[in-house]
Amino acid sequence: MATYGDLIQVRDLKKYYNRGAIKALDGVSVDISKGDVMVVIGPSGSGKSTFLRSLNLLEEPTAGSIVFEGVDITKKRYKDGDGKLVKVDIDQHRQKMGMVFQHFNLFPHMTILDNMTLAPVKVKGMDKKDAEEKALALLDRVGLKDRAGAYPIQLSGGQKQRVAIVRALCMEPEVMLFDEPTSALDPEMVGEVLDVMKELAREGMTMVVVTHEMGFAREVGNRVLFMDGGKLLEEGSPTDIFEHPKHPRLQDFLGKVL
Amino acid sequence: MSNFIKPENFSLILPYIELFQQGLIVTVLLAACTVLIGFVLAIVLAVIRMSNFQPFLMLARAFPGLFGFFEYDKQGNKLDSGFAYQLGRFNPFGFLATAYVEVMRSTPVLVQMWVIYYGVFKVFFTIPRFKMLGFISADRFIPCAVTLGLNSAAYLCEIIRSGLQSVDGGQTEAARSLGLKQMQNLRYIVLPQALKNILPAIANEFVVIIKESAVAYTIGVMDIMGAVNAVKSANSIIMEPLIVAAGIYFCLCFPASKVIAYVERRMRRGDVR
Repeated sequence: MATYGDLIQVRDLKKYYNRGAIKALDGVSVDISKGDVMVVIGPSGSGKSTFLRSLNLLEEPTAGSIVFEGVDITKKRYKDGDGKLVKVDIDQHRQKMGMVFQHFNLFPHMTILDNMTLAPVKVKGMDKKDAEEKALALLDRVGLKDRAGAYPIQLSGGQKQRVAIVRALCMEPEVMLFDEPTSALDPEMVGEVLDVMKELAREGMTMVVVTHEMGFAREVGNRVLFMDGGKLLEEGSPTDIFEHPKHPRLQDFLGKVL
Repeated sequence: MSNFIKPENFSLILPYIELFQQGLIVTVLLAACTVLIGFVLAIVLAVIRMSNFQPFLMLARAFPGLFGFFEYDKQGNKLDSGFAYQLGRFNPFGFLATAYVEVMRSTPVLVQMWVIYYGVFKVFFTIPRFKMLGFISADRFIPCAVTLGLNSAAYLCEIIRSGLQSVDGGQTEAARSLGLKQMQNLRYIVLPQALKNILPAIANEFVVIIKESAVAYTIGVMDIMGAVNAVKSANSIIMEPLIVAAGIYFCLCFPASKVIAYVERRMRRGDVR
């Protein structure tokens, strides 16, 4: 993986509440390379969602750094190539980080097509027609082309989440962040969403996935992180984590969920 | 003066019917001016309250060495509570706007009107005595419209704020994660959804203002209540003109509130997440 170069370097990331009385993240460091499918597992309240949401600053970290494509996005300014201080424009970086939420967060007052074309048109300045073409092609890939004119409320949970994924893909992100994408779905709809994610992984998309789907972690992930109490306790390949877990907390966790 | 209602007394009102007509026009005009002033001011107030002008945090960012303590503690961690943190987030203009809203909502409109009529307009801006439309005294009507406007701005500002807050936070997260800027998020995502809650509440506020404008009479604006008083002093009857006045107010407000309820139902039928 290292041959592709690192995409994101997270260093000693901390998120405290009440002046450190609650430590949602307690010094997490990790490198994410292009093409990685990194799956984050751990019990509820272990900080895995906070970690993911910190990556595009939906959660403002208390301390630590997140270097994305060479820029520390936790700082307000950075030095560019000429040594000049430049303002960090977080909106610029968020465009390159697609995010998929547990509760879909589709825009209910817009059709599926408008949901997908809004950001490309308004943020990237893409031509409306080109954006629609691209959106329809993506919808076709997830088998929802015929629902382009529908409103989110007319879709099932699985369909909504598939739309949410392609909505993020419309911005052509460098990395996709998934925050428990199947946790709010009926069991019978989990498969269709996971299939889309698997295909995405096969195409080489860099993904960070917070999930409780151990099957997905094992099958699709190339790296698995185990978090508990805001700390990164163990990291390794799916085989390392699931077949030879070292940390007692991980052994205990796997014993309960598998 | 007899307070019993006698049907024949209603005929005594007939000669004054023109006063009631003029009063009706005054009331509607007053409500319209009020909503106009109130709405514009409410938007200004809401924008001020939502702005993130934080002078102490700006100091901290401009001079981290000197004022960094507004943002970071001694270990270099971002503050999340405490006095310095609160001061860092303090928005003086937002505070003033909030103070204004709270004062206007917590004092009677009658008091506000007398203060503005006697204490502000009589002292600082004397309005020349002339008649608008031939029968409305401008020097009384304008202070009254201004007061009601200032008062309803506070309520409308709260309506706008709560309307914006009623939109699910996940919507903003999704919009920002797609790269939309704060203003784009407001314009394309939050406002269109908030309007569903805001518009009926604003229309409702209009109905409230029509009724509340009756206090205008206390500084001598000849609205519907002015007509009641004219009949009262000429004929020594009170209940009959009051019933007529109540009827006019009812005919204004009841259909309006029914229309609002209808529109509200139509809007509810739309999408919920």
